[in-house]
Parts: sequence; structure tokens; C-alpha cells
Amino acid sequence: MDVAEKLKLLEDFALEKSVLKPNRKLFVVEPSYVRRIFESLIEKLGHGGFYLSTIVGTDLKEENKIRLDYYVVMLPEEETVVIRTFLPRENPVIDSLIDIIPGALAGECETYDLLGVVFRGNPFLKRGFFVPTDVSEKGIYPLRKDSGV
Amino acid sequence: MMQEQKARKTGYRIIRYSPWLVHFNTGACNGCDIEVLASITPLYDPERFGVKLSPSIRHGDILVVTGAVTKKAADRLKRLYDQMPCPKFVVAVGACAIDGGVFSKSYSVVGGADKVVPVAIYIPGCPPRPEAILDGLVKLLTALREEEVQNNGCS
Repeated sequence: MDVAEKLKLLEDFALEKSVLKPNRKLFVVEPSYVRRIFESLIEKLGHGGFYLSTIVGTDLKEENKIRLDYYVVMLPEEETVVIRTFLPRENPVIDSLIDIIPGALAGECETYDLLGVVFRGNPFLKRGFFVPTDVSEKGIYPLRKDSGV
Repeated sequence: MMQEQKARKTGYRIIRYSPWLVHFNTGACNGCDIEVLASITPLYDPERFGVKLSPSIRHGDILVVTGAVTKKAADRLKRLYDQMPCPKFVVAVGACAIDGGVFSKSYSVVGGADKVVPVAIYIPGCPPRPEAILDGLVKLLTALREEEVQNNGCS
């Protein structure tokens, strides 16, 4: 299976696609599809055919959204693609990947601790994972633009 | 009193001849860590001063701290310092370890290493060159010979 075929798997789910920078393709998807995308990646490529590099969350206060980027690297070509989704700022909830991709642990725990994105089904989410306890005890998510820290 | 002074002098002499370093990153960007590692390579040959890396914190004489001290790392830094045998000295390497640097106002940063442990020598730079780090260590050793360093972490 060559890269184009692998990317075709993602294109089927994509609302829109573009290019972040050369050799970095971007696929914008619905939040409810994210888990299904990774399930189909595992099914088609196997656990050795790709890896989840990191999860990046960004607070878009003006648009009242939280942007989630899943950076996925296709192996063995080392083709990096970004799966992007948007969550509502008031209630950012998305399905966890931790039971199918254990490597998502750090990314999900970090995004929860810093931005308050809840990954449904992740039993390890807790405040104070990275954030110092004096900040997390106040219920502040420091990477939110209006957190005031 | 005399005995105490003598014991301290002996301790300082032992450290002066072969200071063993422990390197601890309290939240650095890795720039200073790279320079600390570079300064212990044969190119700069720190073993002419007897400087080498200690296998364990409990064998260490000098704690080399790099990076702004985050609130989470502050506990660990204090715990490491408490485990070192006496006499012990702390060297703060880089602008961040001195006073927090550009991160000093961050919600997760305490400040410099001196907020948590007594610091003997500050080495400025972002990052400092390996020569500067070795120069700082030699200055500390010179100060030990002159007995100018006040806080050895014990008395």
C-alpha cells in the first residue's frame, strides 16, 4: 500500500483537506469520527503501520472553539499528517483513543490538564498531571485564553 | 570549634581535588544541558580539575542545576539536595536557573534555583559556553580554597 492509498483512508472521512506546510497534509474531520478514523487505520495498516505522534490542543476564544490536532505518522514512509477537529468551548468532549492506542495517554492527559478537553473513556484523566496543584485546585485551565494566569 | 574547622577544611580539600558533579534539569529547554554535557567532553577535558559526573546523587559534591525551577521540580530539587553528603554546593547554569529568565512570571515557575536551595555560583548565559561553565566550577574550587563560600549546606 503506497502513501496515496493510505491517505485515501483519511480522505473518506475528511470535511476538507489542505496543506499546513510542504509535506504536512491536513484533514479536518467531525469530532465524532476521530475514533472511527483511528479504528480504520489500525484495521487497514495495523499497529505497526502508523503511530500517533502527539495531540495538540489550541483555544480559539474568538470562534468559541477548541481545536484538536492529532499528528499521525505513517510508516515506513514517515509521512506526517494532521487530523484536525473542532470542539465547542463550553463542553469540549471527545472519545478517548487510549484503549486502542495506549500511546495517546500523555497527549490526552496533557490536553485535559491544560485545556479541559474531556476524553470520554480515559480513566487516567486528572488535574495536576502537568499543572502545579495551586493552579489546578482553583479549577483553572492555564492554556485557555481567559484563564488569567 | 577547632575540630569543626579542621573537619571542614579536610572536606573542602577532598572536594577541591575531585569534585563530582550531579546534573539536574529543573525545566530547561535543553540548551544548557547540551552545554553542560559538552563541557565534560575530552575537548574541554574537565578531568584536569578532577571534575567528573557522579554515578548517584548520594556520591555528588556539586549539584549543577539548569533551567527555570518549576513548581513541580522544586520539590524534587530540594529532595535531591537533601540527599547529598556534606559539604555540598549548587551551581546555577544559565539565565533561567539564575532567576527564572524569560519564564520568571509564568504560573508554573517558582523562579531561580536560589529560591529552593542555596546557590554558590551563578553562571550566566543563554546558554553559557562550556568554557564559562568550567570557569564557574574552577572559580568555585578557588573560592573553596580561600574558604570564601559561606553556605556549604551543612553548618
